[in-house]
Amino acid sequence: MRVLLVDDEVELVSAMAERLGFRGVDADWADNGESALEMADKTEYAVAVLDMKMPRLSGLDLMDRLADKHPDMKFIFLSGHGSESDFKAGCAAGCNYLIKPIQLEELVALINRVTK
Amino acid sequence: MSRQDETRAGLRFFGRVSASVSHEIKNVFAVINEAAGLIEDFTLMAERGMPLQPERLKSAANSIQGQIRRGDAIIKNMNAFAHSTDEDVREVNLVEGLALAVALSTRFADMRQVKLTMGECEPVSMVASPFDLTRLLHSSIAAALDRLEAGDTLVIGVRPEGGGASFSLSSPGKDGPLRDDEPFADLARAMNASVSVNEKTGTSELLLERAGSSE
Repeated sequence: MRVLLVDDEVELVSAMAERLGFRGVDADWADNGESALEMADKTEYAVAVLDMKMPRLSGLDLMDRLADKHPDMKFIFLSGHGSESDFKAGCAAGCNYLIKPIQLEELVALINRVTK
Repeated sequence: MSRQDETRAGLRFFGRVSASVSHEIKNVFAVINEAAGLIEDFTLMAERGMPLQPERLKSAANSIQGQIRRGDAIIKNMNAFAHSTDEDVREVNLVEGLALAVALSTRFADMRQVKLTMGECEPVSMVASPFDLTRLLHSSIAAALDRLEAGDTLVIGVRPEGGGASFSLSSPGKDGPLRDDEPFADLARAMNASVSVNEKTGTSELLLERAGSSE
């Protein structure tokens, strides 16, 4: 199983990818939506973990683009947004999400759950 | 606009800036959290016999220190913004006021992938409402950003002009990015501010007249 992490905070997303690797989860990362789309064309990812607020392509927009081309891909959102209700309103029912800062073990558990 | 509407508009602006700042601080904490987690992972692996790599520990520690500096700058700006409501009016250093407005607008610009920078600034101060001035400049920057595209740069400067001050907004290679004061007309009117185009430089100018000079 391979995971794609997308967040414009490079130090965050690179550290998360390395820590997931220590836990047996192979993770690649991108700091923008366009790069993520190119990476997903070349590599099969079971899960994409997307930041909600990114320049140009938001997490939700990126999910739509990725899901269109990769219908089996599962999605988890990371949100730094203070308002969970706003986030839920913008996210269709059934979205999986974690609020930053996250506990990595929770992310690993969520990745395992969505890929079952 | 009624006084009640004006108060609501001011509160909405305060909320918008506060939400943006809190989002930035969340990101700072998130990066610190992962860097600290990385250090913990390294030490756990060392306990299991894997050799520690000092340069990896140093890199993670540098990341934490860098984020603390970033967080400190964000909080400093937030604090200055919060104190802008202390007095209705006072003598305001407009270069400092512009720097604060630019700092508070940078995340909005980043989300549009527009680089926001301070241009030429000449010392100038005048009696004004610090909060309204920040709101006016923030609104002007937001209106200018609406006319720019990813990859553009927005340069803002300030100089004395006829007893008041003129803020210039320009984007290299483009026409003046601020066309009129429509997005913030009520506030501009209340502050004796107007928008024009400087034909010589092709830049937009936000002219702030000295308080009372139009009466």
